[in-house]
Amino acid sequence: MIKHIENPILEIHDLTVSYDQSPVLWNVDFSLPAGKLIGILGPNGAGKSTLIKAIMGLIQPSSGYVKIFDQDLDNVRNKISYVPQRESVDWNFPASVLDVVLMGTYGKLGLFKRPGKKEKELALSCLEKVGMTAYVHRQISELSGGQQQRVFIARALAQEADLYLMDEPFAGVDMNTETAIFNLLQEMSQSGKTVIVVHHDIYSAVNYFDWFIMLNLHLVASGPKNEVVTEELLRKTYGGKLNLLSKVSELIRQKEFNPLKD
Amino acid sequence: MMTFDQNAFLIIFTASLIAISCGLLGVFMMLRKMAMTGDAISHAVLPGIVIGFLVSGTQRGLEVIIGAGILGILATLMIDWLRKKARVQLDASIGITFTLLFAIGIILISAFAYRVDLDQECVLYGEIAYLPIDLWITDAGNNLGPRIMWLAILNLTLVLAFITLFYKELKLTSFDEKFGVVIGIPASAINLGLMSMVSYTTVSSFEAVGAILVVALLVVPPATAFLWTRQLRHLIKLTLIIGVMVSLLGYYLAYLLDSSIAGMMVTVAGIIFFASVGFTRYRSKINFGTQNEAKAFSS
Repeated sequence: MIKHIENPILEIHDLTVSYDQSPVLWNVDFSLPAGKLIGILGPNGAGKSTLIKAIMGLIQPSSGYVKIFDQDLDNVRNKISYVPQRESVDWNFPASVLDVVLMGTYGKLGLFKRPGKKEKELALSCLEKVGMTAYVHRQISELSGGQQQRVFIARALAQEADLYLMDEPFAGVDMNTETAIFNLLQEMSQSGKTVIVVHHDIYSAVNYFDWFIMLNLHLVASGPKNEVVTEELLRKTYGGKLNLLSKVSELIRQKEFNPLKD
Repeated sequence: MMTFDQNAFLIIFTASLIAISCGLLGVFMMLRKMAMTGDAISHAVLPGIVIGFLVSGTQRGLEVIIGAGILGILATLMIDWLRKKARVQLDASIGITFTLLFAIGIILISAFAYRVDLDQECVLYGEIAYLPIDLWITDAGNNLGPRIMWLAILNLTLVLAFITLFYKELKLTSFDEKFGVVIGIPASAINLGLMSMVSYTTVSSFEAVGAILVVALLVVPPATAFLWTRQLRHLIKLTLIIGVMVSLLGYYLAYLLDSSIAGMMVTVAGIIFFASVGFTRYRSKINFGTQNEAKAFSS
């Protein structure tokens, strides 16, 4: 079930990515609408992070292309924001919370220019949005996992982009942070931003996102929630790894949301 | 009784300049987990020095610096290629690359020994004590002072310019290189720029302190400073202070014990490092339990 869109904000055409000859993404082809909160779902090793990295140009695909705002990536870097996995950096780095968030403004500053008052105010307002105002001058080595994640999201906000790609922003954060981040993402999509999130927990995903990309090396589905969250597609996505078929039906029942009836 | 004399001042001054240049670059090498790449570069430049020497006929030529710069970058690229494309572990890639290039340098020196006024001893150990008698005399016959001191001044000026101009980019790519790539910062150019500066600094300094001791100045002061602070600006300042302390104490200890100045500088650096380890461990034991618990976040 792949629903294609007119005037997509992101279009991926026949994308194949391989490491050492073995493909980790096969012929992925979809297009995404603007202003949605989009979840990328799939089991471990399904290629979710690889897909994000290919979109961001961090991995060269073996074939296919990515168009963002109908353009090549290099023309629209200022409009895209990226939240890498928290574990991808060393948090012992000598920097304060404010330093890291200011890094989000570097792309628009260009070479040689230093962040000034305007950038600082922007960074502070981004920290406010993620509820980290009390930690502005704290060293990043002293933060908890959830706080690190908020700092990364604040840095992405400071890019003032239109399209946000986030790699597992809910990994290893407490419930409190998860809810706070989710509320923020919802506000962002309501104000017209497009937010794409890699997520591994299908239970919470059903509550969070309004558009789904289901991935298991191949693209299983891409479409709005009420069309693609079905037992059949979830089973296709998670395959044998799902002993949770029963749990899924339970979940759908609990949500009083049963697409199978529609 | 020791008295202040001009020679001592010149040696300490030059040693401090070199220590500061190395320390500034070393901070970023350490933060990029590339401290040992600095080691590799400092050895791998040897064939470049010899080739530059053969081309120019003098160890003062620009060709020597260019040759070393090219070899330094080549070493960086080779390490990167071995690690990423040939899937060799980072430490093994470094070990293979620099020993191979250094060995080629040694072979070149012995093959052209009759034409090259350069020996392994000089490259490996350097001798800063000769600095006051190696003067820069202009064609008009004016004595401008020690040649190596001027090299060190030029080197520090360029290192300072590089780090000031690219401070923001160096900081970002050291912390999160991929994010830098995504927002359009030329991360690989910044990286190659840093490696070139390390190569150039190594060549500029090897006559004074030698290729091995340059490594100590690249690695030890930043590592010591990192024990004391988690703020980049403080880290840089502290590195510079340690560099000057090392030069000052190293010189006078070498004078007292009638020993190698460069050797003593590195010994002093090692002592300061271990003293810092001891002190910061002691301090963290004392403070344990009184640290402010991070307040739980509430949204």
